[in-house]
Amino acid sequence: MMNTIGIWIGALLTLAIYSFLYKDNPFYKLAENIFVGVSAGYWAVVLWFDYAWPNLFEPLFKKGQWFNIFPIFIGILMFAPLIPRISWMVRIPLTFTMGVAMAVSITQIVQGDIFPQLQATFLPLTGVSFFDAFSNLLIICGVIFTLIYFYFSKEHKGVLGISARIGIWFMMVSFGASFGYTIMARVSLFIGRIYFLLHNWLGVI
Amino acid sequence: MNIFERLSQLDRRIIFLLVAIAVIVPMIVPLNLPVDITKPVKNVYDKIESLPEGSVVLVSTDYDPGSEAELYPATEAFIEHCFRRNLKIYMMGLWPAGSELGNIALNKIAKYYNKKYGEDFINVGYRPGGAVMLLSLGRNFSDVIKVDYQGIPVDSLPLGRRVKSARDLSMVMTFSAGDPGIIHWIIYFHARYGVPVCGATTAIMAPQQYPYLSSGQLVGLLGGLKGAAEYETLVERRGRGLRGMDSQSIVHLLLVGFIGLGNVILLYQRRKK
Amino acid sequence: MKVILPLAIVFICGFYMLITFFIPAKFAQDSSQLLQLWYQGVAAFFVFIGIFNLIKINVDRIQRRLKDWEYSIILLSFLGVMLVAGFVGGRDSRVFLYLFENFQVPLGATMFSLLAFFVASASFRAFRAKTPEATLLLIAAVIVMLGRIPIGYLIWDKFPDLIEWIMRIPNTAAKRGILFGIDLGLLSMALRVLLGIERSYMGGGVEK
Repeated sequence: MMNTIGIWIGALLTLAIYSFLYKDNPFYKLAENIFVGVSAGYWAVVLWFDYAWPNLFEPLFKKGQWFNIFPIFIGILMFAPLIPRISWMVRIPLTFTMGVAMAVSITQIVQGDIFPQLQATFLPLTGVSFFDAFSNLLIICGVIFTLIYFYFSKEHKGVLGISARIGIWFMMVSFGASFGYTIMARVSLFIGRIYFLLHNWLGVI
Repeated sequence: MNIFERLSQLDRRIIFLLVAIAVIVPMIVPLNLPVDITKPVKNVYDKIESLPEGSVVLVSTDYDPGSEAELYPATEAFIEHCFRRNLKIYMMGLWPAGSELGNIALNKIAKYYNKKYGEDFINVGYRPGGAVMLLSLGRNFSDVIKVDYQGIPVDSLPLGRRVKSARDLSMVMTFSAGDPGIIHWIIYFHARYGVPVCGATTAIMAPQQYPYLSSGQLVGLLGGLKGAAEYETLVERRGRGLRGMDSQSIVHLLLVGFIGLGNVILLYQRRKK
Repeated sequence: MKVILPLAIVFICGFYMLITFFIPAKFAQDSSQLLQLWYQGVAAFFVFIGIFNLIKINVDRIQRRLKDWEYSIILLSFLGVMLVAGFVGGRDSRVFLYLFENFQVPLGATMFSLLAFFVASASFRAFRAKTPEATLLLIAAVIVMLGRIPIGYLIWDKFPDLIEWIMRIPNTAAKRGILFGIDLGLLSMALRVLLGIERSYMGGGVEK
């Protein structure tokens, strides 16, 4: 019984959202606000039970891990703007997280992205089939020409201009492929909802 | 007003209606079109087939209801493959709702295969902190994960005790809809700890993963609902991925038709000028 | 104090983390791990401040009877119901999961699926071959759209291979080129932040 009611709720909310396709209306706004409310509530609960209590507060209060006071204190400073006199203190959690995240990203971008990707670009042109050599050459040239397009320190004229133009062609093929995939993604989402309506709700498929 | 002028002013709601029809009709009257298998999808399948029984696979459900239609069918198919091969699943989510969606799939398939919670699979829920968290996780799981999604201490579960660091994992499979997600598993977790990473992404994200596929940093990839349909074909499971492929085909044909028609109108307007 | 202290924190934390990356000693790795764990703790408060702000904005809207204030009552009610269901019943309670499965999932999934219609409309109205570059983009898109679906395989059985080649070669080349550009940009931005040159993320009044 509860399951059936749940499916009906889901179906009616789905139709309320789709009513926007005709024009903006109160049903759509209602559904939109329910979504924001439910999502925010869900996030708060899950964050508390999965992380904040077992990792931060429980070790502090029940296991005496006093050093947990530091992240909690720094985190609470996020609320500093509520007291104008100390509002500047909000910069402490911001700079702390930025400092850690930026340092980590520097090392990992070099180790995890730039080096392996560079390595994968040095492809063999001999000792492989003609077709593979041609494909490898296209990758090498494509990467170089795309990078040249983003080189703005010199005017794109002559050899630089031609190279940048070839770079644009590579990017256009890539953007075209991305566009094709974008359409695919959006259509899939709609298919998912129609499947729900026809299978779970109406039971016709 | 001739036909081209009329078409150029076509009400967008007629386009909407045609799209809806193109999705609904093939669902009610299936065409059962055959699905071809691409190499990135086969790579994921082969990777799972190559793992010895009892290996631990970390499954990260890094998506939310907004991309559930694309990634949930792949989640179910992948979990089914793992359980069929008697692999252990250690599930978590970098997105809050992802851990719950993954849990629905996990419990459903585990029940079918008589898998025991705590021994064959666990779900440790949502993990905040994104990329930075992945680095500390790989070094020491117990620093980051204290309890599972039910509040049970992970140390009290056999699978929780077994996974102490990234070294105890045979591979990572991420179902990813954005940030944090697959990129972070590759450039933070794989690069630092060397664990093989496979992924299922929304179709929008799939083209961005090809540089990582070609560099070998990503072993295999399921791109969008089509990727899920391919995986379902490989594991012989008729799920939502395969069922959606007829509609996907018809809508793509319709949209190619729209693009063609739009360009015919452009040609006509140019010639008229 | 108001500027120097935050800048000192970003400099010290950042460069300490960078240095420990190159020092395998246990103390260096443990302290780096501790900083990373603290980061996660602080990051959790970003979510709490976000939810706090959502409540504050909507309460304000109701108090001042701003446009569509009635919907703010709906939003806050559902937020409250979810919080009560979660904190009273528990994270894995039936009520909490029921609300998730029957409200949040269908609403989230449908909200994003609306884009299917808008992308269809855009395909008809905006996707035009006006320049040679746009024509190239259009051809690539159409090939991918046809080749990635089962019908494409029936039209020509080599279609999937062609798509895979496009994705593996020209697409990878362009994406990798763009990736290098983004990475270099990120690296320079990270250094600017650690050295205190980039301060905009700290809010106003810190330019000098």
